Amino acid sequence: MKMKTTLSGILTLLLAFVVHISYAQEKAISGTITDQDGLPLPGVNIVILGTTTGTQSDFDGLYTIRASEGQTLLFTYVGQKDIRKVVGAGNTIDVQMQDDAQALDEVVVTAVGITRSEKGLGYNVQSVEAEAISVKPNADLVNSLSGATSGVQIVNSSGEAGASTFITIRGSASITGNNQPLFVVNGQPIDSGGGFSGTGGVNTSNRTIDINPDDIATLSVLKGGAATALYGVRAANGAIIITTKSGKNLTQRKIEFHTSIGVDVVSNLPARQKKYAQGSAGTWIGGSAFSWGPEISSLEYDGDTSYIWDPNGRLVAKGTGNGTPAQYYDPFDFFQNGYQLNNRFSISNGTEQGDYFFSLSNLEQTGIIPNNTYGRTTVRLNGSTKISESIKFGANMAYTNSRAVQIQKGSNVSGIMLGLLRTATTFDNSAGYEFADGSQRNYRNGGGYDNPYWVANNIAYEEDVNRFTGNINLNIQFTDELSLNYNTGIDWYNTKYVDRFKIGSRGNPTGYLGEYMEFNSVFNSDLLLTYRKDISDKLDMSITLGNNFFSDYNKFLFGDATGLEIPDFYQLNNSSANTTQTGTANYRTSAVFADLQVSYDDIIFLGFTGRNDWATTMPQQNKSAFYPSASLGFVFSELGDLKSDFFSFGKLRASAARTANIAPVYSTSNYYEAANGGDGWTGDANGISYQFPYQDQTAFFVDDDLGNSDLKHETQDTWEVGADLRFFKSRLGIDFTYFNNTNTDLLMAVPIAPSSGFNSVFLNAAAMESKGVEISLTANPIKTEDFSWDFVANYTQFTNIVTALADGVDNIFLGGFTTPQVRAVVGEEYRSIFGEDWYRDNNGNILINDDPTDSYRDGYPMTNTAQGLVPIGNFNPDWTANITNTITYKNLSLSFLIDIKKGGVMYNGTAFAMNYFGVSERTVNREVYYNTDGSIDFNATPEENLVVMDGVYGHIDSNGDIVTNGVKNVTPVVQDQEWFTGQGSNFGGGPSSAAMEPADWVRLRDLTFAYNLPEIGDVIKGGQIYFSGRNLWIDTPYSGIDPETNLGGATNAQGMDYFNSPGTRSYTLGLKLTF
Amino acid sequence: MKKNKITTYKSLILLLSVLVFTISCEKWNDSDINIDPDKPSDVSMSLILPGIQQSMGYNLVGNNSVRTNNIWMQIFEGVDRQSFTEGRYQLTAADTGNLWNPIYTEMMMNCTLIIEKANEEGIESPNFEGVAQVLMATSLGIGTDLFGDMPFTEAFKGGENVLSPTYDGQESIYTMINTLLDDAIVNLNNSSNTISVSGDVIYDGDLDLWTKAAYSLKARHAIQLSALNGNSAYTAALEALENGFTSNDDDMLVPWEDANRNPIYQFMEERTDIRMGAYLIDLLLATDDPRLPFYAEEDADGNYSGSALRSQDAGASYPGPNLAAFDAPTKLMTYSELKFIEAEAKFVLGQTGAQEAYEEAVAASMLRITGDANTAWLDANINGDPVTLEKIMTQKYIDGAATNQPYADYRRTGFPGLTLASDAVISEIPLRFPYPQAELDYNTQNVPSVTLLTKLWWDQ
Repeated sequence: MKMKTTLSGILTLLLAFVVHISYAQEKAISGTITDQDGLPLPGVNIVILGTTTGTQSDFDGLYTIRASEGQTLLFTYVGQKDIRKVVGAGNTIDVQMQDDAQALDEVVVTAVGITRSEKGLGYNVQSVEAEAISVKPNADLVNSLSGATSGVQIVNSSGEAGASTFITIRGSASITGNNQPLFVVNGQPIDSGGGFSGTGGVNTSNRTIDINPDDIATLSVLKGGAATALYGVRAANGAIIITTKSGKNLTQRKIEFHTSIGVDVVSNLPARQKKYAQGSAGTWIGGSAFSWGPEISSLEYDGDTSYIWDPNGRLVAKGTGNGTPAQYYDPFDFFQNGYQLNNRFSISNGTEQGDYFFSLSNLEQTGIIPNNTYGRTTVRLNGSTKISESIKFGANMAYTNSRAVQIQKGSNVSGIMLGLLRTATTFDNSAGYEFADGSQRNYRNGGGYDNPYWVANNIAYEEDVNRFTGNINLNIQFTDELSLNYNTGIDWYNTKYVDRFKIGSRGNPTGYLGEYMEFNSVFNSDLLLTYRKDISDKLDMSITLGNNFFSDYNKFLFGDATGLEIPDFYQLNNSSANTTQTGTANYRTSAVFADLQVSYDDIIFLGFTGRNDWATTMPQQNKSAFYPSASLGFVFSELGDLKSDFFSFGKLRASAARTANIAPVYSTSNYYEAANGGDGWTGDANGISYQFPYQDQTAFFVDDDLGNSDLKHETQDTWEVGADLRFFKSRLGIDFTYFNNTNTDLLMAVPIAPSSGFNSVFLNAAAMESKGVEISLTANPIKTEDFSWDFVANYTQFTNIVTALADGVDNIFLGGFTTPQVRAVVGEEYRSIFGEDWYRDNNGNILINDDPTDSYRDGYPMTNTAQGLVPIGNFNPDWTANITNTITYKNLSLSFLIDIKKGGVMYNGTAFAMNYFGVSERTVNREVYYNTDGSIDFNATPEENLVVMDGVYGHIDSNGDIVTNGVKNVTPVVQDQEWFTGQGSNFGGGPSSAAMEPADWVRLRDLTFAYNLPEIGDVIKGGQIYFSGRNLWIDTPYSGIDPETNLGGATNAQGMDYFNSPGTRSYTLGLKLTF
Repeated sequence: MKKNKITTYKSLILLLSVLVFTISCEKWNDSDINIDPDKPSDVSMSLILPGIQQSMGYNLVGNNSVRTNNIWMQIFEGVDRQSFTEGRYQLTAADTGNLWNPIYTEMMMNCTLIIEKANEEGIESPNFEGVAQVLMATSLGIGTDLFGDMPFTEAFKGGENVLSPTYDGQESIYTMINTLLDDAIVNLNNSSNTISVSGDVIYDGDLDLWTKAAYSLKARHAIQLSALNGNSAYTAALEALENGFTSNDDDMLVPWEDANRNPIYQFMEERTDIRMGAYLIDLLLATDDPRLPFYAEEDADGNYSGSALRSQDAGASYPGPNLAAFDAPTKLMTYSELKFIEAEAKFVLGQTGAQEAYEEAVAASMLRITGDANTAWLDANINGDPVTLEKIMTQKYIDGAATNQPYADYRRTGFPGLTLASDAVISEIPLRFPYPQAELDYNTQNVPSVTLLTKLWWDQ
């Protein structure tokens, strides 16, 4: 309850500040603001530099602001040049704004740190407002990008603290490789990997979580090939370019304090039946896997204390026990409120000679699952100084400690949701999870699955990451035209985790310990020489030559042990059965590149880039590859008299590029590896059932993945065209992009027939295509002195089709189960889900059995196991859209983001398995009575229990052929235990297709309500109090948990829900103060 | 300005030299960086051998092989989840990859490598080759009796770019098994050997035992052709077994230990979805067979009981210590099996000695399973009881729990007479395993089209 105290403390503090508004030795400055033509200009922003104090001009162009002598006022307005005025002795400052030819000229950071004016860009780059990221209650900044742009797909794997997030830009470019974008912080590419987990285990974090979102000054999303081409072999998946804050542009010391406290509550949960007790065939059976017992209302306890599995004894028929009625226990009481407390502090300043930014932050988060936690501490120091007039030197350093405790999830006998949801209706997991002798109490009387409370208290995956990223930057301005920029840096981190299973878990009955240590190091060096020349009045050019060195090194050491001798002592030597593993991944690349920009009269902007890469992971003869790009921005609104009050700006864009991907390390030759294996049924946390040392021997198998010494670079050819149109003095804008990415020679471990002696061979085999449109609409419909309304909408629609795989291979397994599984299949959307289906007639109607002589029940459909796995859906949306409205009234602002995903289905394996156990809500209409001849007694059977399965009559003859007359089925049947333990569930042999559900959504993803504090006294220069909510409202047809989820975490295999941990709804209250 | 220009040119030269340096900088991009420091590019035969044997012990007689076919044979009974489904004979291509893959990529591929290494010039090691050939024949033999036609002549050549090998008919597979075993016998007895067999967890390098195993396996596969070849199958079996196992000490067993536990043990720890089947347990109960407490744990009531067919009786006996103790060895072939082969062959051929072989077979089984001769029980139930084919096959069935032989024998002889599951999805007990999804997907042009009721070649 420490959290509560903290919360009330903060509230008291807030109140104190609000009440204590006092006015210092300031004076009221007022004036009139006019435009170039002398007309009053409403809505101009006026801020006191170095503070957050500000106001806007009213409808008559008038403004008033309180400021002290010597302070500087900054006047800004879209389409006008910025104006600065120092407050002097007088009380009036009138300002005439000037149209700015480069007004729309927002500067964006593009590849290798080259800044460009957005006006001339020949490709789509979107910037995300850093302020919006900082108030969202997401530990991982990637989650805060959800819905902020077009063309970006983000899936948060679950609501656990520290869970992973999967991000792709404009679809996927690789079949089985990495499809997530390159992350660059201050010019330094950083490792953003991690977060994949398989179908069981725990959810882990992506390493983007190590960035303190409050440190971000700008974030731009480079989507297409032309935007990223200068990153060469790292460019194919787009890039997220982050610049952290600095003290530049400050005129006085600035201290910022930002605190927030948040509550996470579990959101959507699957519905369970509450009517029938544990047992089978209408009989109560203690320890039964099933809830196919009698009606709960017909039972009471016998009070027998010798029955250890329930403190109330066994369940018996009413009237034969002790009178204590049986009851339904809600398993979801297990979930708790998660809390997060996040404190951030920074101090920064700038002078002519240099600047600095120093920040500290600490986040402590507890999850909705007991004992799930995430914590992060960050320190950052950014600074720069002028060594001489022409030489500037800077350094950025950041340290992060990330620590997480994760709890078992998914398809795993210890999985939290698996244990909770399968638990019989009349069993109370919370009534003790451990007996005095240390053995486990669970609903299967010691068998089956772990009690979730036992799991949360006795199994823990504790991860600790210590990370240092830093870079230094040297800038020499030889002349006005010639400059040199050198940027080099490192990203070093250690990951260690301890994975502990107490003795007595179902999956690791003798206990388990895994200890993991990993060292990662990324080195990057960029040398750029830039020459800018205004050749004539109208013709400008700039050329940059550069080189790049890059290395990526990873080494891990892993040891694990089963059969722990001393209970609760987690040390590898506490077992005679321990194994160790090590692994290395090391590669380097080098490159030379050139960038040429030519612009004519602010109308035509031409850009060309070329980069040649050499990579160690490629075979000698294919080490080198060249990647060019060209782009054109045509600002046609500059022509003639096109510009008017209605039409403000118009640009057409076109670009094309070739980028690439290199092979993974060590894929050019074949090795032996430590012999071990698993049979899919048994094994340790990694599915390993047998391994070495064994019988005092060690052993090796030849690697079953064949290397290849003829590999080439993967190639991505992209082009995009677009238009950027702005109207009504730029208060309405529309941006349209069409993109087309063709990926060829994609490297993949091509699965081959195991009878070849190998499971795969590495080949340049596949091709994929991604094409679609991105539309952004920005509007500022209302703008008055006190009130403004901003509207931003993004729409994305694309297809991502696999166009080729290796010869003889028509699909690639990406993840999932034996059925269903996520695959890449030629001609299908990437990540298609494959599974078994019902028998169907030629028109696709499900066959309903009409043959009383065969083994199938009449009136029910039949699983077609003969045809194997067929496409049964895809998680990819038809389109996505998001709409952000920001309404500001005086110091109040309200911003909310509605996020829409249309189309796409997900495997609700959770519900499908719950059917089998008789716990899902859809099993409640099970009561059925039969006549003596075996037919349903329609008089006695409740009418609501009768269903007619959708389909046509038919059956399978002795040759396995389909026989049907095409007549629509009208036979009423009951979905009873036999159905649900049969083909009405996965375990009963039902087809996965029956468990596919639409995963569309409309959600209120983010809402922020903020009050901007005025200056308070001498000390407080401004600030903000805000409330922020996430996922406050979700509308979805999906019957399970929040459909923004994925079983395997941040993997290419999306669309799987099998006892995934649920999502959350968050409420955050925050305070920012500037001193 | 002039000075500034000089600086500029100097810097330019510096920069250009750096760029040139980059291009010529082979050191930064040294190809040796792409050699994995954590994996060997070559290992000795003795470091390959135990991996093959361990995988054989876990997979050939493990949860994707005998668990399934022993459910069909009603030795086990699937009471829950997938084991329950398999009990109504649902087994699909998605289910068999976890058996097929290790047979090829762990067992036979690595046997191929040993055979190659054993033939390297100057260090020819025929003894090692012989051991690898016996292991190859064992894997291929158990494999073909479940799957029928299999790739062999074109198999294991992924490294030579043969990625979709053709299938050899089961008849030629049988020929190759015999050739492998014949070659093995020659190689095991070759005295000009350079590298002696080590790393062997089955026979600890004892070449005589490997030779006996080769003959015994020849007998197993000879009698498997009885339905096809009639008397010549029995004759061939008898001929082979003359040089086969001579006691329980010769059994071809894969050991398990604390760090690497018996597969059925691991299944019962983690999945628990099978119990002993009523058919087998009732057979044992009928004669109060001393093997009962070694085949079954006591049930909840302190008795031994099997789960009746399709009854999902989770309260029935768990598999007992002989089948599922953590350190219970898994059986690739036993002396008792060989004696049953002898009894059957002599009985069908009308030769003398069938009765003796039968009695010795059961005695060997009793001794191996219980650790005790149990002579009194043998005298009361077996010894002197006139032998019939059904008795031989029934006792062989009892003896063969947790091996693939009951299923192979059932399809060959029809014994024991089992009832079809009431909710069977096909009209008979399956006659084979289906080919795995990976072969259907990646070797489509070669994999034969079969159903669970497609007969194997020796079953025609």
